[in-house]
Amino acid sequence: MPADPGVLGSFAEPAAAAVAIRALRADGFADVRAAMPAPFPDVVAALGKPRSPLDFVTLPGAVVGLFCGIGLTVGTSLAWPLVTGGKPIVSIPPFVIVIFELTVLVGSLTNLVAVLVGTWHGGRSRFFPAGTSFNADRIGVFATGGDASAAEQILRESGALEVSRVA
Amino acid sequence: MSLTFERLESTVRATHARPGPGYFALLLAAASLAAFGGWAYSLVIREGLHLTGLQRPGGWGNLITDFVFWVGIAHSGTLISAILFLFRARFRTAVYRVAEMMTVFAVMTAGLYPVFHLGRPWFAYWLFPYPNDRGLWVNFRSPLIWDVFAISTYFIVSTVFLLVGVAPDAGALRDKATGWRRRLYSALAFGWRGTDEQWRHYTRAYLFFAAFATPLVVSVHSVVSWDFAVSILPGWHSTLFPPYFVAGAILSGVAMVIVILVPLRKWLHLEEVITSTHVDMLSRLVMLTSLIVTYSYATEIAIALGAPASDPERSTFVYRMTGDYAPLFWLMVACNCVGPGLLFVGRIRRSVGAVFAICLLVNVGMWLERFNIVVTSLAHDRLPFNWRTYTPTWIEWAMTFGAFGWFFFWFLIGLKLLPPVSIAEMKEELAHDEQAAHAAAEVAHAG
Repeated sequence: MPADPGVLGSFAEPAAAAVAIRALRADGFADVRAAMPAPFPDVVAALGKPRSPLDFVTLPGAVVGLFCGIGLTVGTSLAWPLVTGGKPIVSIPPFVIVIFELTVLVGSLTNLVAVLVGTWHGGRSRFFPAGTSFNADRIGVFATGGDASAAEQILRESGALEVSRVA
Repeated sequence: MSLTFERLESTVRATHARPGPGYFALLLAAASLAAFGGWAYSLVIREGLHLTGLQRPGGWGNLITDFVFWVGIAHSGTLISAILFLFRARFRTAVYRVAEMMTVFAVMTAGLYPVFHLGRPWFAYWLFPYPNDRGLWVNFRSPLIWDVFAISTYFIVSTVFLLVGVAPDAGALRDKATGWRRRLYSALAFGWRGTDEQWRHYTRAYLFFAAFATPLVVSVHSVVSWDFAVSILPGWHSTLFPPYFVAGAILSGVAMVIVILVPLRKWLHLEEVITSTHVDMLSRLVMLTSLIVTYSYATEIAIALGAPASDPERSTFVYRMTGDYAPLFWLMVACNCVGPGLLFVGRIRRSVGAVFAICLLVNVGMWLERFNIVVTSLAHDRLPFNWRTYTPTWIEWAMTFGAFGWFFFWFLIGLKLLPPVSIAEMKEELAHDEQAAHAAAEVAHAG
């Protein structure tokens, strides 16, 4: 819960929402957020949020998959060293296929877990309650950490269809 | 009336309306076909593989042909959703969800057939590496084990990709749904509310999924082709096989997407969302991959015919073109090379009915291609005293057609549960188009 109240504006056009976000940030609002039915590039750029840290989860996941693949193929072949087809016990070219598949599989599943955690965490915002129209055809812009009256004025001037205070 | 966010959502929501008698008739037909195939297979389980036409040297027949065909069909979904996403091909937005659904159900179908072919399917778990009393592990040098890893990884990743793509749409549908649908969409939405924080992680994750899926889609059919190529059998032992198989898979998969989309857009009243332009763009993919496949056929034949008369490779290809299976070979060439060639004529390509008919024939042709590769090579191996013609029995045909019943049964159910078009990505496209129109109007006004 923020210490001070915030202001929520609802927009029909991504471009108008982007203008409002830029104006709010220029006016010194510490926390400006948005909710929208699609990742509109204008709005995303105006928010200026850093890139998702998912890279730091997915890449290690893929590396774990790589080592799982190496461990499974090489380890099990050495555990029962049976020569088949006159090929070496550790035959790298055929093993690369299994290693590749496990790299992709574990990397993808790690990516899935990471996005689920990120989505769950990112959906906990109390400013955009479920059932509001931000999944449908409106873009919600929320600002806090500044003068609420100034925020209301900026949102209205930018073309907000509705503006309300969030306690 | 132009498409708006609200109209788009209501159009997609309308596809989930209470199904009519036509839907149930189709579902019953698909289930009956699958059940007939299942019953035919139950005879094989009870009496053995001698009920099939398999015999030396033709140890692989319809069932392996079905496996390769359905893996190929499964390719287009990931191509359209992942590869075209990375290339920023905007036409994919309206069609990729149907293609992804098709991929998942096609892999579900493909995976059954090697197990059916085993003869003793209750030992199928021996294909997976697991600790056991004998201390014996699977042979990772065997192409059949590569298949296990490739197909199961492809199935899991494709399903995850589909469900992650559905999450924002499920969030939109959930807000206006009631009863069990609300519960279903709540589960599929993973708590989706469309906040910028969610989009920030989601768009990054989607990019990674696409990046993982792209090499995967190329690898899967390459691995399937190595089932053949690493053997020493004439007609199979070729370094051409991986690109040839991948191009063929994309050809058959995109053709199947068109065969499904053309009636679907009419039946579900999606003509405004999936337009004839989308069908045209997909037709161009069919043309491109058909050219690659035609080039591959020509290369194989040219290399074989360039060999000395005593060469087994040459003997196999001459047999393929002039022997017992020659009508099937030339029908394959007509369906996969001549038919798609007609799409170079703009008028034909813009006729949805003509495109549908050509793509239907491509699917027939691609099944025949796999049959030609699998069967004719085995029927005409290196030992002339061994040569024998393989003819599928009615049981194998029942199982082949049963696959279509199985696939369409799940697809019809999927259509009523998942949005057939990506609502979120379509909204992004609509906003983009509107902005471009505004900019053009401003330029015109200033001029």
